[in-house]
Amino acid sequence: MKRSLFLVLTILAVASMLLASCGTAAKTGKGPGGSIPFPTGGKTVTVGFSQEPDLVDALFSSMSYAAWVDQSIQVGLGTWDANNNLVPELATEIPSIANGGVSADGLTITWHLRKGLLWSDGQPLTSADVKFTWQLLTDPGNAVYTRAGYDQITSIDTPDTTTAVLHFKALYPGWQTLFDSGPNNQGNIQPMHILQGKTGLEKDPFIHWPTISSGPWVIADWVAGDHMTLWPNPNYWRGKPKLDQIQIKFVPDPETAKAALKTGDVDFVPDFAESDLADLPALEPAIHTRVDAGPEFEHYLFNLGVKGTGVGQSDYDGFCPFKDVKVRKAIILGIDRQTIVNTLLFGKTTVPASLWPNSFWYNTNLTPYPYDPTQAASLLDSAGYALGTDGIRHGMCNGVDTKLSFNFETTNKQLREDMAAAVQAQLKQIGIEFKPIFTPSGTFFGNYASGANMATGNFDMAGYTTGFYPDPYTDGFLCSTVISAQNQGGDNNYHLCDPALDAIMQASNASADPAVRKTAIDQAQQYMYDNALVVPMYARANVMSYVDRFVLPPTSVIGGMMGDTFDWDVK
Amino acid sequence: MWTYISRRLLQALVILVIITGVCFLLTHFSADPMSQYANKQGMTAADRAIIAHSLGLDQPLPVQYVKWLWLALHGNLGNSFFSRQPVLTMIAQRLPLTLELMVTAEVFIIIISLILGTVSAVKQYSAIDNIITSFSFIGYSMPIFFIAFGLMQIFAVQFKAWGLPYLPTGADIWNPKDLGALIRHMVLPVTCLVIIQVAGYSRFLRSSILEVLGLDYVRTARAKGLSERTMLFKHALRNALLPFITIIGLDIPFLLGGALVTESIFAWPGMGRLFWEYAQRGDFPVVNGVLLLTGTAVVFFTIVVDVLYTFVDPRIRLS
Repeated sequence: MKRSLFLVLTILAVASMLLASCGTAAKTGKGPGGSIPFPTGGKTVTVGFSQEPDLVDALFSSMSYAAWVDQSIQVGLGTWDANNNLVPELATEIPSIANGGVSADGLTITWHLRKGLLWSDGQPLTSADVKFTWQLLTDPGNAVYTRAGYDQITSIDTPDTTTAVLHFKALYPGWQTLFDSGPNNQGNIQPMHILQGKTGLEKDPFIHWPTISSGPWVIADWVAGDHMTLWPNPNYWRGKPKLDQIQIKFVPDPETAKAALKTGDVDFVPDFAESDLADLPALEPAIHTRVDAGPEFEHYLFNLGVKGTGVGQSDYDGFCPFKDVKVRKAIILGIDRQTIVNTLLFGKTTVPASLWPNSFWYNTNLTPYPYDPTQAASLLDSAGYALGTDGIRHGMCNGVDTKLSFNFETTNKQLREDMAAAVQAQLKQIGIEFKPIFTPSGTFFGNYASGANMATGNFDMAGYTTGFYPDPYTDGFLCSTVISAQNQGGDNNYHLCDPALDAIMQASNASADPAVRKTAIDQAQQYMYDNALVVPMYARANVMSYVDRFVLPPTSVIGGMMGDTFDWDVK
Repeated sequence: MWTYISRRLLQALVILVIITGVCFLLTHFSADPMSQYANKQGMTAADRAIIAHSLGLDQPLPVQYVKWLWLALHGNLGNSFFSRQPVLTMIAQRLPLTLELMVTAEVFIIIISLILGTVSAVKQYSAIDNIITSFSFIGYSMPIFFIAFGLMQIFAVQFKAWGLPYLPTGADIWNPKDLGALIRHMVLPVTCLVIIQVAGYSRFLRSSILEVLGLDYVRTARAKGLSERTMLFKHALRNALLPFITIIGLDIPFLLGGALVTESIFAWPGMGRLFWEYAQRGDFPVVNGVLLLTGTAVVFFTIVVDVLYTFVDPRIRLS
């Protein structure tokens, strides 16, 4: 018996070692360097990601981590600098009316590529690749993430290898988001010589792991679930990046990530949650933490739906009292957002007054509503909602005695739960019963067909993060996008159809000139502010921690987390 | 016997179909894979419709499931909704790493449980028994994440701070040919798994040995004048190990499923993480692929254990 047991144990131990070496050795070396030892010397930085990209080519992924890796290897004609300005990348200049790149009617955009551009495999990168990228994106056989804007292009002329002339069928004011690197990297250029003649590309191995690149780095190695290795692209037009190698390690647990920073197993963690700010500052001076407030923001939204089957109508009526601007304004005034930011977010971000904070499009003339429970109570009184014996206000709404008691739905993220608890306590003080419901994000963000409450309009109030990608997205406020049984693909989660707002939003898209659009966008924000249509809670912050030896340059909050890896360095 | 095995295999097939069907429904109702694309500004309804069509999500639920089942019966587990890779490829990438971790841990669990359980039983109520018992209860009652972070803080973070050689915080398969590095990275996760499992197994073995030591034949063996050592190893332990071996046998299929918490904390790229990361997002092909693998292993090893009983204990007959 003992001998048998010993034999079994020995076989198990040997088998496990053999399996280990089989399993890993098979997954190395697709990149240009073949099997890569770690580290090879030179200047190396190890980055910790909490999630692994599903696939890398961001044209086919909704995942931020895919976009971040992709920004380092596949670039567009333009990109965003640290000051959030669009600057040339593969192009020589950004088209404008002044330089003739944008036609007077805004329907023709001309890009000029740099001369002598090469893919990392030595093949020329030309305007034909730009045209091919458009064809790839508009091929219905490819399940790309989005074709928005690209589907407005009727043709692309390539009179020479460095010129691409885009012809639009209608004015597309967000043309700057096309063919440019950005937060979702939805404008990276694809290699025609690799992908031409294929369809159903979402399943193509190149989309999963692009083995050649146009950006500063190439993915040299990828061990599923463990790490990726980036090596410099020898043909990148700007030359070699300051680092010799970037390792991306997949560390799902934030506590492990903090321990790994302390031991030096990783040098940089770009994706801590805002709630981690509780203990990250204590890691100074060995580990620094930087918080960049971005254009995305957490907001609470009222369901303003009106039941019906017409355009702009929903399957459900929103909570009746929300139809009254006084009630909506009272709710904003009754939430102490600054204290929430100071306590739950350690004062590291800001309370915005309106949409698109920390961006060119933000209306800086607006001041966030203050916390003023007295004024809130007074507004509720004047709206006809008096305090009941149970401490909750009630009043007549559409002829029905209605309590100011409503559900609030959001995801089961800890920070959201903490914030909702604070809001619940604050609103109770002005006689409002705020009842949070937390669900997994997969359920909360479900589509209409899945019966998700927010999509179907079967909710009172909800909370989530929205933002700016990188052009103000106004479609979500239009009557034509209100979600209903008749319009299941809409994305107006507010279920709001306000013809006045609709007109302003449409006007913001009537010009290709950003300066002209800014006026309308400012007006839209003013209207939403005056009518208290949403409750902007706080500007979402990118929380990054890094060891002292790592030199992290200023990052564009629009450009994305890894849009500047060319300039990463170590002391 | 062959009739018995054939019948069990047929039953197993039905069980697996039921398991995958239930899993399909649970995954479907717990997370909508298309929710990944909700609230993505700039994405149009047409974009979403094309993606849903490419994933087959625009078809009725029963059709989705039957299509998957048909492919599975032909050895194709489909493609992930998100990575778009074949599920078999994804499992093949993770399974060896999970086995490396789990099998190594299992070997240590068996050896240490045997030693502690035997010593604890033979020295019942002695100081050493009390110490082992105390540590077993401590190990058994502590949540695994607490042990994992405790080990990490001491042997990685603090050892580094004290200037001592320290262990890494997470898995690093930088160089698979470097056996030394591999072992260094395995120390903490394996220790963590061993602490949790040994606590229970050693107690189980102790009880089993104590029960056997009280039986008539052991008393007879003692009366024959056998030494305690001979009596223990030749007679008592042999019988006491039978239920222990059964438990170990039933553990084997679960080795394939990995250890979710340990793998997540130590960033080990195994099956547990694969299952969890994709289950949260409603990636039915990956979830069901992993479940089918572990379910098949459970059913297979249950049959194997049943058959082995007939060899170990001649009183058992399969019918």
